[in-house]
Amino acid sequence: MKPLIEMNDISKIYDNGVVANDHVNFSVNKGEIHALVGENGAGKTTLMKILFGIEKPTEGQIIVDGKELHLNSSHDAIAAKIGMVHQNFMLIPSFTVAQNVVLGSEPVKKGLIDKAEVLRISKELSDQFGLFVFPDAVVDGINVGMRQRVEILKMLYRKAEILIMDEPTAVLTPQETQDLFKAIHTLVEQGKTVIFITHKLREVKEISDRVTVMRMGKVIGTVDTKDVTKEQIANMMVGREVFLDIKKPKISRGEKRLSVKDLTYVSETGRPVLKGVDFNLYSGEVLGIAGVEGNGQTELVEIMTGLREAAGGEITVSGKDIVNQTPRTIRMLKIAHIPEDRLTNGVSVNSSIKENLVVDRYFKAPMKKGLFIDYSVVDQATDELIKRFGIKTPNGNLPVSSLSGGNMQKVVVARELSSEPYVLIASQPTRGIDVGATEFIREQLVVNRTEGTAVLLVSADLSEVMSLSDRIITLFEGCVTGVFPDASKVTEEELGAYMLGVKQQTPEEMEKFL
Amino acid sequence: MKALLKTKGFREFLRVLLALAIGLSLGFIITCFVSKDPLASYKAFLFGPLSQLNRIGDWLEESTTLVFLGLAVAIVFSAKQFYIGVEGQMILAALVSGVVVLYAPFPPAIRIVLAFAAGSLMGFIWGVVPAYVKAYLNASELVSSLMMNTIALKLFEYLLSTYLQLPKVSGIMSELFPKEVRLVSFIPNLPFLAETRALWEKQTSVTVMVYVAIAAVLVAYLLLYKTPFGYELRMVGSNNKFARYGGVNVKRIIMLAITTSGLFAGLAGVHVALGIHHRIVLNMSAGLGFEGVNIAILAFNNPLIVPFASLLYGYLRAGADVMERTTDVSRELVTIVQAAVLLLITAERLLPVIQQRVTTQDDEEHLQEKGEANVA
Repeated sequence: MKPLIEMNDISKIYDNGVVANDHVNFSVNKGEIHALVGENGAGKTTLMKILFGIEKPTEGQIIVDGKELHLNSSHDAIAAKIGMVHQNFMLIPSFTVAQNVVLGSEPVKKGLIDKAEVLRISKELSDQFGLFVFPDAVVDGINVGMRQRVEILKMLYRKAEILIMDEPTAVLTPQETQDLFKAIHTLVEQGKTVIFITHKLREVKEISDRVTVMRMGKVIGTVDTKDVTKEQIANMMVGREVFLDIKKPKISRGEKRLSVKDLTYVSETGRPVLKGVDFNLYSGEVLGIAGVEGNGQTELVEIMTGLREAAGGEITVSGKDIVNQTPRTIRMLKIAHIPEDRLTNGVSVNSSIKENLVVDRYFKAPMKKGLFIDYSVVDQATDELIKRFGIKTPNGNLPVSSLSGGNMQKVVVARELSSEPYVLIASQPTRGIDVGATEFIREQLVVNRTEGTAVLLVSADLSEVMSLSDRIITLFEGCVTGVFPDASKVTEEELGAYMLGVKQQTPEEMEKFL
Repeated sequence: MKALLKTKGFREFLRVLLALAIGLSLGFIITCFVSKDPLASYKAFLFGPLSQLNRIGDWLEESTTLVFLGLAVAIVFSAKQFYIGVEGQMILAALVSGVVVLYAPFPPAIRIVLAFAAGSLMGFIWGVVPAYVKAYLNASELVSSLMMNTIALKLFEYLLSTYLQLPKVSGIMSELFPKEVRLVSFIPNLPFLAETRALWEKQTSVTVMVYVAIAAVLVAYLLLYKTPFGYELRMVGSNNKFARYGGVNVKRIIMLAITTSGLFAGLAGVHVALGIHHRIVLNMSAGLGFEGVNIAILAFNNPLIVPFASLLYGYLRAGADVMERTTDVSRELVTIVQAAVLLLITAERLLPVIQQRVTTQDDEEHLQEKGEANVA
């Protein structure tokens, strides 16, 4: 049978040089549920955006139903009966469900929108595909699960035959996920084709017919779901990479510096994200948190640094509970933070490099003199940091936006490490930056650890976690699923199994190593 | 020339110049359609403000008001708060400072000082409500400040007509301030300047407020660019998430940005009352509060550029005045010129050719560097 969709030799290179898709071949048969899996940054979403016409491929060919398509926008894709349900819903909150469904191509009677017809369309589509919604409810007041169904209805109203769902379960509760799966089965029974992006292996096994695994912008393989185990998929996702050679002097860890007890967090949509996380962090160690993104790491780090309020639990540093304290209070305890999203939190791109380097210290001596900031001190400190951390720039007065990604990250690292932290929380410290900067930053983390800093490393890059950490814990769906007291004695396969929830240690097993 | 073109400041200056040229040409084209003698009318607009001493005076007086207002708006805009309540702050400050000089039982010098303090304090206080609802309740400062403006204007009218109204006059106004509390001329009282001073005093009311304005410019500059508060304010403006991550109390800064700007708006009110009208009178703000927004935009929110932007803008307004009074073209024409200039300045794509040519080289260097970047 000829596949319904064929994407041949697709490459996508962004303007900033990032290769998101590297000669990808991807095909989907009619009437199947095809899971597309891979870690964050593997290129899944980019590939699907290309299929939906939002991104233009640098090269490659898209054939749907035997015809080659040149997609310039999502309108072209919709015309080719391809629909996409995005991670972030694109609904108008003040409109009703029915109005949102027909938005853009409303049924018209005598030049006016036919309101009765609008409602009827939504009801009919909703009944036909088993996607339960309240057609006359305002979107603002409905829950996430229903919003998602509205998105799907929108696409069905536009006669989509192929539905791309970008991590549809990421925001759903388990019950809502089950409802969604039922709906997907109904869609397929009625002849639709579904592409399902995820990184949850349980879901892959539960719902898909075939699965394509992507890693680092490439397709690793496409297999029939029934022929593989979760472990095998995990191996394909995580893969084997050449370990970066990092010199890490053997030292024994020192005193306990931070302890997290029974930390919980519930998202705004009511989904439990952290379900009682416990661990300790010691001086002179790198504790790695391994986990597929979206399992609570982001929230954990933001709570630890005061950027997010926890639902419960405590985090103790130097005898103080820092849960729900302000970022300034936490920073005053010498807790430094390399944030995962440097462009949002880590830097102010339009401000100068020097202003970015002093955000944690401009208000204290020696930078503050009397009422003013002493800019001669700031300039001197800036020049020193630029030199010490090798930030490639003619001077510190240029805006951060003039730097490459790696150098921007060096600005963040320079600021955070030069604060001589007691505890350092590094989240995705080398994501999306060049090899040179990556190596430098990793080295710096190890140097700090050897000097006694307690380092918490959160990274989606498993080889990074494994090569830098002294100890590793795995996080899966907001729970610690395993502790590995000696990072050098654990394999990726083993970690992968715990990261993806295939295996789990008992609390008793974990207790003595946490 | 090329080195000069590389500096951002110079390119921005060029942009303003080009925008001005296009705006003025547009104005002339329209004048040709509406005027019987377009050349004379446009000449009145372009050179009118300089033709007589009293017109120069009008220009400088209004520019002084614009400086205070421009500073006020530049401060809130630096924090990226779209607050446009300076009109209300100014008008109430004018009222309060006027009441102080009229009725406070103190010697004149103290009354004047008190009037300044009371005026700027009023501006500060009037900012508290919109600042609070923005910082702590996340209510749009745009909407709340507009509403506060209306409240301020109506409150001003009510208080003026109910308690301060001069009996037996048709206009709504208070009595004139006594001579001894009026501000003195900006020309120092020196023997060899006596003649000039007398002439200026007779024909204009350019007062020491000019110096206060210059001082205010310096204070605003130091505040924004040299103090921890100014640093925090600008970081909140350029990326409030970064500011929060770095430990800045973002809510507090939003509160203080809006209220502090009120101090400057308040000084504008003091100037209008004590320096220009010498009484409290209906419509004394003449809608200038909103022009503060334009000044801040023209000055790229930089306090040091505010005086120049104010003089330029004040000149256009003064020219409009002369043109309306002496020719058959109404002042609305100038509104078109002003709008065109502002539009062109805020349009980021203006002058892209020059910018592109100069920056291509830099970009190429960058691309090479980024080319080394790996897959995310």
